[in-house]
Amino acid sequence: MSTGVPNHICRLLAECLKAWRVSGEVAYEPDGTLLLTVGCKRLSIACAAPDMPFRWMVHEDGRSRGATSVPGLLRAVRATVDPGHRPARLRIAPFPLGSP
Amino acid sequence: MIPVAVLTGFLGSGKTTLLNRLLKSSQFARTAVIINEFGDVGLDHELVETSEESLVTLQTGCLCCAVRGDLERTLEDLLRRRDACTVTRFERVLIETSGLADPAPILHALVGDAGLGNRLALAGVVTVVDAVNGLATLERQSEAVKQVAVADRLVMTKTDLLGSTANELIARLAAINPSARLLTASFGEVDAGRLFDMGLEASRILRDATAWLGFDEHSSHGRGADRHHHDSEISTFAIVAQEPIRAVTLTLLLEVLAEHCGGDLLRMKGIVNVAECPERPAVIHGVQHLFHPPAWLPAWPSPDRRSRLVFIVRGIPQAWIEALLEALETEVSEVTRSISSCRG
Repeated sequence: MSTGVPNHICRLLAECLKAWRVSGEVAYEPDGTLLLTVGCKRLSIACAAPDMPFRWMVHEDGRSRGATSVPGLLRAVRATVDPGHRPARLRIAPFPLGSP
Repeated sequence: MIPVAVLTGFLGSGKTTLLNRLLKSSQFARTAVIINEFGDVGLDHELVETSEESLVTLQTGCLCCAVRGDLERTLEDLLRRRDACTVTRFERVLIETSGLADPAPILHALVGDAGLGNRLALAGVVTVVDAVNGLATLERQSEAVKQVAVADRLVMTKTDLLGSTANELIARLAAINPSARLLTASFGEVDAGRLFDMGLEASRILRDATAWLGFDEHSSHGRGADRHHHDSEISTFAIVAQEPIRAVTLTLLLEVLAEHCGGDLLRMKGIVNVAECPERPAVIHGVQHLFHPPAWLPAWPSPDRRSRLVFIVRGIPQAWIEALLEALETEVSEVTRSISSCRG
Protein backbone atom coordinates (compact mmCIF):
# COMPACT_ATOMS: atom_id res chain seq x y z
CA MET A 1 0.00 0.00 0.00
CA SER A 2 1.57 3.29 -1.03
CA THR A 3 0.72 6.80 0.11
CA GLY A 4 0.12 9.84 -2.11
CA VAL A 5 3.07 11.56 -3.72
CA PRO A 6 3.92 14.68 -1.67
CA ASN A 7 3.34 18.15 -3.04
CA HIS A 8 6.99 19.07 -3.18
CA ILE A 9 7.63 16.25 -5.67
CA CYS A 10 4.74 17.46 -7.83
CA ARG A 11 6.23 20.98 -7.74
CA LEU A 12 9.69 19.65 -8.52
CA LEU A 13 8.52 17.65 -11.53
CA ALA A 14 6.58 20.63 -12.90
CA GLU A 15 9.73 22.76 -12.58
CA CYS A 16 11.79 19.97 -14.16
CA LEU A 17 9.73 20.16 -17.33
CA LYS A 18 10.47 23.89 -17.58
CA ALA A 19 14.17 23.41 -16.85
CA TRP A 20 14.42 20.64 -19.44
CA ARG A 21 12.41 22.68 -21.96
CA VAL A 22 9.90 19.90 -22.33
CA SER A 23 6.24 20.77 -22.95
CA GLY A 24 3.99 18.82 -20.68
CA GLU A 25 2.05 18.84 -17.46
CA VAL A 26 1.92 17.20 -14.08
CA ALA A 27 -1.35 16.52 -12.26
CA TYR A 28 -2.61 14.47 -9.34
CA GLU A 29 -4.77 11.42 -9.94
CA PRO A 30 -7.58 10.64 -7.47
CA ASP A 31 -5.46 7.94 -5.81
CA GLY A 32 -2.65 10.40 -5.00
CA THR A 33 -0.30 9.28 -7.77
CA LEU A 34 1.08 11.82 -10.21
CA LEU A 35 0.36 11.71 -13.91
CA LEU A 36 3.00 13.33 -16.06
CA THR A 37 1.93 13.89 -19.65
CA VAL A 38 4.39 14.83 -22.38
CA GLY A 39 2.98 14.58 -25.89
CA CYS A 40 1.64 11.07 -26.23
CA LYS A 41 3.73 9.78 -23.32
CA ARG A 42 2.02 9.27 -19.97
CA LEU A 43 4.01 8.45 -16.88
CA SER A 44 2.47 7.55 -13.58
CA ILE A 45 4.59 8.29 -10.51
CA ALA A 46 3.81 6.78 -7.12
CA CYS A 47 5.46 6.31 -3.76
CA ALA A 48 6.82 2.79 -3.51
CA ALA A 49 5.18 0.42 -1.10
CA PRO A 50 7.04 0.10 2.23
CA ASP A 51 8.10 -3.48 1.47
CA MET A 52 9.81 -2.42 -1.77
CA PRO A 53 13.51 -1.53 -1.88
CA PHE A 54 12.64 1.76 -3.62
CA ARG A 55 11.16 5.10 -2.66
CA TRP A 56 9.44 5.87 -5.96
CA MET A 57 7.85 3.90 -8.78
CA VAL A 58 7.54 5.12 -12.36
CA HIS A 59 4.97 3.34 -14.54
CA GLU A 60 4.75 3.73 -18.29
CA ASP A 61 3.00 1.52 -20.85
CA GLY A 62 2.61 -1.33 -18.41
CA ARG A 63 6.27 -1.25 -17.41
CA SER A 64 7.44 -0.22 -13.94
CA ARG A 65 10.78 1.12 -12.78
CA GLY A 66 11.83 1.73 -9.22
CA ALA A 67 13.91 4.68 -8.05
CA THR A 68 15.72 4.75 -4.74
CA SER A 69 15.93 8.53 -4.44
CA VAL A 70 14.86 11.86 -5.91
CA PRO A 71 17.93 11.94 -8.21
CA GLY A 72 16.99 8.44 -9.41
CA LEU A 73 13.40 9.50 -9.97
CA LEU A 74 14.48 12.50 -12.05
CA ARG A 75 16.86 10.31 -14.06
CA ALA A 76 14.08 7.84 -14.85
CA VAL A 77 11.60 10.56 -15.78
CA ARG A 78 14.02 12.47 -17.97
CA ALA A 79 15.15 9.35 -19.81
CA THR A 80 11.54 8.91 -20.90
CA VAL A 81 10.43 12.47 -21.62
CA ASP A 82 13.72 13.82 -22.98
CA PRO A 83 15.50 10.84 -24.60
CA GLY A 84 17.98 13.09 -26.43
CA HIS A 85 19.49 14.32 -23.17
CA ARG A 86 23.06 13.19 -22.52
CA PRO A 87 23.67 13.42 -18.78
CA ALA A 88 26.97 14.77 -17.49
CA ARG A 89 28.61 13.31 -14.42
CA LEU A 90 29.72 15.38 -11.50
CA ARG A 91 33.50 15.67 -11.49
CA ILE A 92 35.41 16.81 -8.47
CA ALA A 93 38.67 18.59 -9.15
CA PRO A 94 41.69 16.92 -7.54
CA PHE A 95 42.53 19.96 -5.44
CA PRO A 96 40.50 22.39 -3.33
CA LEU A 97 40.43 26.14 -3.74
CA GLY A 98 43.72 27.84 -2.85
CA SER A 99 44.86 27.28 0.72
CA PRO A 100 44.26 29.96 3.30
CA MET B 1 50.03 28.34 -5.90
CA ILE B 2 50.52 30.39 -9.05
CA PRO B 3 47.40 32.43 -9.85
CA VAL B 4 45.98 32.14 -13.34
CA ALA B 5 43.73 34.94 -14.55
CA VAL B 6 41.65 34.79 -17.70
CA LEU B 7 41.34 37.95 -19.78
CA THR B 8 38.44 37.80 -22.17
CA GLY B 9 36.20 40.14 -24.14
CA PHE B 10 34.67 40.28 -27.57
CA LEU B 11 36.61 41.06 -30.75
CA GLY B 12 37.93 44.61 -30.73
CA SER B 13 36.99 45.29 -27.14
CA GLY B 14 40.53 46.33 -26.18
CA LYS B 15 41.95 43.23 -24.51
CA THR B 16 45.39 43.56 -26.07
CA THR B 17 45.65 47.27 -25.27
CA LEU B 18 44.75 46.52 -21.67
CA LEU B 19 47.20 43.62 -21.55
CA ASN B 20 50.01 45.83 -22.83
CA ARG B 21 49.33 48.43 -20.17
CA LEU B 22 49.24 45.81 -17.46
CA LEU B 23 52.51 44.25 -18.54
CA LYS B 24 54.21 47.63 -18.27
CA SER B 25 53.25 47.96 -14.63
CA SER B 26 55.74 46.72 -12.06
CA GLN B 27 53.08 44.47 -10.48
CA PHE B 28 53.01 42.41 -13.66
CA ALA B 29 56.73 42.19 -14.28
CA ARG B 30 56.73 38.45 -13.64
CA THR B 31 53.77 37.38 -15.70
CA ALA B 32 53.62 34.56 -18.24
CA VAL B 33 51.17 35.38 -20.99
CA ILE B 34 49.26 32.90 -23.11
CA ILE B 35 47.51 34.40 -26.09
CA ASN B 36 44.94 32.50 -28.07
CA GLU B 37 44.43 33.75 -31.60
CA PHE B 38 41.76 32.66 -33.97
CA GLY B 39 42.79 32.31 -37.59
CA ASP B 40 45.86 31.28 -39.52
CA VAL B 41 47.77 34.49 -39.11
CA GLY B 42 47.95 35.65 -35.54
CA LEU B 43 48.67 39.29 -34.90
CA ASP B 44 47.90 39.89 -31.26
CA HIS B 45 51.15 38.37 -30.03
CA GLU B 46 53.08 40.82 -32.22
CA LEU B 47 51.35 43.62 -30.39
CA VAL B 48 52.10 42.41 -26.89
CA GLU B 49 55.25 43.75 -25.38
CA THR B 50 56.66 41.18 -23.02
CA SER B 51 59.66 38.90 -22.85
CA GLU B 52 59.68 36.39 -25.71
CA GLU B 53 60.19 33.32 -23.59
CA SER B 54 57.21 33.85 -21.35
CA LEU B 55 54.78 34.60 -24.16
CA VAL B 56 53.03 31.64 -25.72
CA THR B 57 50.68 31.81 -28.66
CA LEU B 58 48.05 29.17 -29.28
CA GLN B 59 46.95 29.23 -32.89
CA THR B 60 45.11 25.99 -33.24
CA GLY B 61 41.72 27.63 -33.25
CA CYS B 62 39.50 29.06 -30.65
CA LEU B 63 40.79 28.24 -27.18
CA CYS B 64 37.45 27.07 -25.92
CA CYS B 65 37.28 24.43 -28.66
CA ALA B 66 40.81 23.05 -28.32
CA VAL B 67 41.12 23.79 -24.66
CA ARG B 68 41.63 20.37 -23.09
CA GLY B 69 44.65 19.56 -25.18
CA ASP B 70 46.42 22.75 -26.01
CA LEU B 71 45.89 24.86 -22.95
CA GLU B 72 46.82 22.11 -20.54
CA ARG B 73 49.90 21.14 -22.53
CA THR B 74 50.93 24.78 -22.73
CA LEU B 75 50.57 25.32 -19.01
CA GLU B 76 52.47 22.13 -18.23
CA ASP B 77 55.24 23.20 -20.56
CA LEU B 78 55.42 26.65 -18.98
CA LEU B 79 55.71 25.12 -15.51
CA ARG B 80 58.44 22.74 -16.69
CA ARG B 81 60.40 25.60 -18.19
CA ARG B 82 59.92 27.64 -15.04
CA ASP B 83 61.28 24.76 -12.95
CA ALA B 84 64.25 24.40 -15.30
CA CYS B 85 64.86 28.16 -15.10
CA THR B 86 64.64 28.51 -18.87
CA VAL B 87 61.97 31.17 -18.52
CA THR B 88 61.59 34.03 -16.09
CA ARG B 89 60.38 32.74 -12.76
CA PHE B 90 56.88 34.04 -13.37
CA GLU B 91 54.55 34.63 -10.45
CA ARG B 92 51.28 34.66 -12.34
CA VAL B 93 49.82 33.51 -15.63
CA LEU B 94 47.50 35.59 -17.74
CA ILE B 95 45.51 33.92 -20.49
CA GLU B 96 44.08 36.18 -23.16
CA THR B 97 41.31 34.34 -24.97
CA SER B 98 40.25 34.93 -28.52
CA GLY B 99 37.38 37.37 -28.86
CA LEU B 100 35.08 34.57 -29.94
CA ALA B 101 35.85 32.27 -27.03
CA ASP B 102 33.26 30.84 -24.73
CA PRO B 103 35.11 31.19 -21.41
CA ALA B 104 33.29 28.40 -19.55
CA PRO B 105 35.27 25.46 -21.03
CA ILE B 106 38.49 27.35 -20.35
CA LEU B 107 37.57 27.73 -16.69
CA HIS B 108 36.55 24.10 -16.69
CA ALA B 109 40.01 23.09 -17.89
CA LEU B 110 41.75 25.31 -15.35
CA VAL B 111 39.74 23.96 -12.44
CA GLY B 112 39.90 20.36 -13.47
CA ASP B 113 43.29 19.23 -14.64
CA ALA B 114 44.89 16.90 -12.13
CA GLY B 115 48.46 17.66 -13.11
CA LEU B 116 48.04 21.41 -12.84
CA GLY B 117 45.73 21.72 -9.89
CA ASN B 118 48.40 21.50 -7.23
CA ARG B 119 50.44 24.33 -8.74
CA LEU B 120 47.99 26.64 -10.47
CA ALA B 121 44.87 28.25 -9.05
CA LEU B 122 42.21 30.07 -10.99
CA ALA B 123 42.40 33.67 -9.84
CA GLY B 124 39.36 34.84 -11.73
CA VAL B 125 38.02 36.21 -14.97
CA VAL B 126 38.41 39.75 -16.28
CA THR B 127 36.10 40.66 -19.15
CA VAL B 128 36.73 43.71 -21.30
CA VAL B 129 33.71 45.51 -22.75
CA ASP B 130 33.88 48.21 -25.40
CA ALA B 131 31.84 51.22 -24.23
CA VAL B 132 31.12 52.28 -27.81
CA ASN B 133 30.02 48.98 -29.35
CA GLY B 134 29.40 46.92 -26.25
CA LEU B 135 25.65 47.28 -26.17
CA ALA B 136 25.22 46.25 -29.79
CA THR B 137 27.66 43.37 -29.36
CA LEU B 138 25.70 42.07 -26.38
CA GLU B 139 22.54 42.19 -28.50
CA ARG B 140 24.03 40.13 -31.30
CA GLN B 141 26.66 37.82 -29.84
CA SER B 142 25.83 35.14 -27.31
CA GLU B 143 29.55 34.58 -26.62
CA ALA B 144 29.83 38.20 -25.47
CA VAL B 145 26.97 37.68 -23.03
CA LYS B 146 28.67 34.58 -21.60
CA GLN B 147 31.96 36.44 -21.30
CA VAL B 148 30.21 39.08 -19.19
CA ALA B 149 28.19 36.53 -17.23
CA VAL B 150 31.19 34.61 -15.86
CA ALA B 151 33.36 37.65 -15.09
CA ASP B 152 34.68 38.55 -11.66
CA ARG B 153 35.74 41.96 -12.98
CA LEU B 154 34.34 43.93 -15.90
CA VAL B 155 36.52 46.56 -17.53
CA MET B 156 34.79 49.11 -19.71
CA THR B 157 37.16 50.47 -22.35
CA LYS B 158 37.01 53.32 -24.89
CA THR B 159 34.92 55.49 -22.60
CA ASP B 160 37.03 58.40 -23.88
CA LEU B 161 35.49 57.85 -27.33
CA LEU B 162 31.98 57.99 -26.02
CA GLY B 163 30.14 61.26 -26.46
CA SER B 164 27.68 60.55 -23.72
CA THR B 165 27.63 58.44 -20.58
CA ALA B 166 27.38 54.68 -20.82
CA ASN B 167 24.41 54.36 -18.51
CA GLU B 168 22.52 51.96 -20.74
CA LEU B 169 25.53 49.69 -21.11
CA ILE B 170 26.25 49.83 -17.38
CA ALA B 171 22.67 48.84 -16.64
CA ARG B 172 22.88 46.00 -19.11
CA LEU B 173 26.11 44.71 -17.60
CA ALA B 174 24.58 44.87 -14.12
CA ALA B 175 21.58 42.93 -15.39
CA ILE B 176 23.73 40.15 -16.83
CA ASN B 177 26.20 39.95 -13.98
CA PRO B 178 25.39 41.94 -10.85
CA SER B 179 28.19 40.33 -8.87
CA ALA B 180 31.13 41.52 -10.98
CA ARG B 181 32.90 44.73 -10.05
CA LEU B 182 32.86 47.26 -12.89
CA LEU B 183 36.04 49.23 -13.61
CA THR B 184 36.70 51.80 -16.30
CA ALA B 185 39.86 51.93 -18.39
CA SER B 186 40.86 55.06 -20.22
CA PHE B 187 43.39 54.40 -22.99
CA GLY B 188 43.99 50.99 -21.43
CA GLU B 189 44.85 52.47 -18.04
CA VAL B 190 43.20 50.73 -15.14
CA ASP B 191 44.10 50.16 -11.52
CA ALA B 192 45.86 46.78 -11.76
CA GLY B 193 45.55 46.24 -8.03
CA ARG B 194 41.76 46.41 -8.19
CA LEU B 195 41.67 44.32 -11.32
CA PHE B 196 43.29 41.22 -9.91
CA ASP B 197 42.28 41.23 -6.25
CA MET B 198 39.64 38.62 -6.90
CA GLY B 199 41.35 35.32 -6.12
CA LEU B 200 39.54 32.27 -4.86
CA GLU B 201 41.94 31.83 -1.97
CA ALA B 202 40.15 30.99 1.24
CA SER B 203 41.89 33.84 3.08
CA ARG B 204 40.46 36.33 0.62
CA ILE B 205 37.00 34.80 0.84
CA LEU B 206 37.17 34.97 4.61
CA ARG B 207 38.12 38.64 4.50
CA ASP B 208 35.27 39.56 2.23
CA ALA B 209 32.82 36.76 1.64
CA THR B 210 30.09 39.09 0.48
CA ALA B 211 32.27 40.57 -2.23
CA TRP B 212 33.43 37.13 -3.34
CA LEU B 213 29.88 35.91 -3.67
CA GLY B 214 28.67 39.18 -5.14
CA PHE B 215 25.83 38.88 -2.68
CA ASP B 216 24.05 41.88 -1.24
CA GLU B 217 23.14 40.93 2.31
CA HIS B 218 20.79 43.87 2.71
CA SER B 219 18.43 42.53 0.08
CA SER B 220 18.18 38.99 1.40
CA HIS B 221 15.07 37.69 3.10
CA GLY B 222 15.32 33.98 3.54
CA ARG B 223 15.64 31.43 0.82
CA GLY B 224 14.51 32.74 -2.48
CA ALA B 225 14.98 35.39 -5.05
CA ASP B 226 17.50 37.86 -3.85
CA ARG B 227 18.38 38.92 -7.32
CA HIS B 228 17.18 37.54 -10.55
CA HIS B 229 18.27 39.14 -13.76
CA HIS B 230 17.67 37.88 -17.21
CA ASP B 231 19.55 38.64 -20.35
CA SER B 232 18.69 36.39 -23.23
CA GLU B 233 18.81 33.05 -21.49
CA ILE B 234 21.60 33.82 -19.04
CA SER B 235 20.63 34.72 -15.52
CA THR B 236 22.28 35.19 -12.17
CA PHE B 237 20.52 34.53 -8.90
CA ALA B 238 21.18 33.67 -5.31
CA ILE B 239 19.51 31.04 -3.19
CA VAL B 240 19.67 31.49 0.56
CA ALA B 241 18.96 28.63 2.94
CA GLN B 242 18.11 29.59 6.51
CA GLU B 243 18.73 26.12 7.93
CA PRO B 244 22.00 24.19 7.73
CA ILE B 245 22.23 21.81 4.78
CA ARG B 246 23.22 18.20 5.38
CA ALA B 247 26.44 17.14 3.65
CA VAL B 248 24.69 14.41 1.71
CA THR B 249 22.02 16.86 0.52
CA LEU B 250 24.74 19.14 -0.79
CA THR B 251 26.43 16.24 -2.60
CA LEU B 252 23.14 15.12 -4.16
CA LEU B 253 22.35 18.69 -5.20
CA LEU B 254 25.67 19.01 -7.01
CA GLU B 255 25.20 15.61 -8.65
CA VAL B 256 21.74 16.47 -9.96
CA LEU B 257 22.88 19.89 -11.16
CA ALA B 258 25.79 18.31 -13.02
CA GLU B 259 23.65 15.56 -14.50
CA HIS B 260 20.80 17.75 -15.69
CA CYS B 261 22.44 21.12 -16.38
CA GLY B 262 25.84 20.22 -17.81
CA GLY B 263 27.16 23.20 -19.75
CA ASP B 264 24.20 25.40 -18.80
CA LEU B 265 25.59 25.76 -15.30
CA LEU B 266 28.14 28.40 -16.23
CA ARG B 267 29.37 29.01 -12.72
CA MET B 268 28.25 28.37 -9.18
CA LYS B 269 29.81 29.58 -5.97
CA GLY B 270 28.64 29.48 -2.43
CA ILE B 271 29.23 29.55 1.28
CA VAL B 272 27.41 26.68 2.94
CA ASN B 273 26.45 25.95 6.52
CA VAL B 274 26.91 22.19 6.54
CA ALA B 275 24.80 20.62 9.29
CA GLU B 276 27.56 18.24 10.36
CA CYS B 277 30.08 21.05 10.79
CA PRO B 278 28.19 24.24 11.63
CA GLU B 279 31.16 26.08 13.14
CA ARG B 280 33.09 26.23 9.87
CA PRO B 281 31.55 27.28 6.57
CA ALA B 282 32.28 25.28 3.44
CA VAL B 283 33.14 27.22 0.32
CA ILE B 284 32.09 25.64 -2.95
CA HIS B 285 32.92 26.67 -6.48
CA GLY B 286 32.14 24.95 -9.74
CA VAL B 287 32.14 25.47 -13.47
CA GLN B 288 29.71 23.41 -15.53
CA HIS B 289 29.81 19.91 -14.04
CA LEU B 290 33.24 20.27 -12.45
CA PHE B 291 33.58 21.35 -8.82
CA HIS B 292 36.43 21.97 -6.44
CA PRO B 293 36.22 19.88 -3.28
CA PRO B 294 34.71 22.14 -0.63
CA ALA B 295 37.23 24.33 1.17
CA TRP B 296 36.57 24.80 4.85
CA LEU B 297 37.07 28.28 6.20
CA PRO B 298 38.45 28.43 9.75
CA ALA B 299 35.45 30.50 10.91
CA TRP B 300 32.35 32.32 9.69
CA PRO B 301 33.29 35.66 8.18
CA SER B 302 30.24 37.38 9.73
CA PRO B 303 27.40 36.59 12.17
CA ASP B 304 25.29 35.58 9.17
CA ARG B 305 25.41 31.78 9.08
CA ARG B 306 22.90 31.19 6.33
CA SER B 307 24.00 29.18 3.30
CA ARG B 308 24.28 31.37 0.23
CA LEU B 309 24.54 29.86 -3.24
CA VAL B 310 25.09 32.07 -6.27
CA PHE B 311 24.28 30.67 -9.72
CA ILE B 312 25.17 31.92 -13.18
CA VAL B 313 23.15 29.78 -15.55
CA ARG B 314 21.73 29.57 -19.03
CA GLY B 315 18.04 28.78 -19.20
CA ILE B 316 17.80 27.09 -15.79
CA PRO B 317 14.94 28.42 -13.67
CA GLN B 318 15.71 29.43 -10.11
CA ALA B 319 12.44 27.81 -9.03
CA TRP B 320 13.71 24.43 -10.24
CA ILE B 321 16.84 24.60 -8.08
CA GLU B 322 14.78 25.72 -5.08
CA ALA B 323 12.30 22.88 -5.59
CA LEU B 324 15.18 20.44 -6.02
CA LEU B 325 16.90 21.55 -2.82
CA GLU B 326 13.63 21.25 -0.90
CA ALA B 327 12.93 17.76 -2.28
CA LEU B 328 16.45 16.55 -1.50
CA GLU B 329 16.41 17.99 2.02
CA THR B 330 13.04 16.38 2.70
CA GLU B 331 14.15 12.99 1.39
CA VAL B 332 17.45 12.99 3.28
CA SER B 333 15.61 14.01 6.42
CA GLU B 334 13.05 11.19 6.01
CA VAL B 335 15.72 8.58 5.34
CA THR B 336 17.76 9.77 8.33
CA ARG B 337 14.68 9.55 10.58
CA SER B 338 13.86 6.13 9.22
CA ILE B 339 17.37 4.82 9.90
CA SER B 340 17.30 6.32 13.41
CA SER B 341 13.99 4.67 14.23
CA CYS B 342 15.26 1.29 12.95
CA ARG B 343 18.32 1.60 15.19
CA GLY B 344 16.29 2.89 18.12
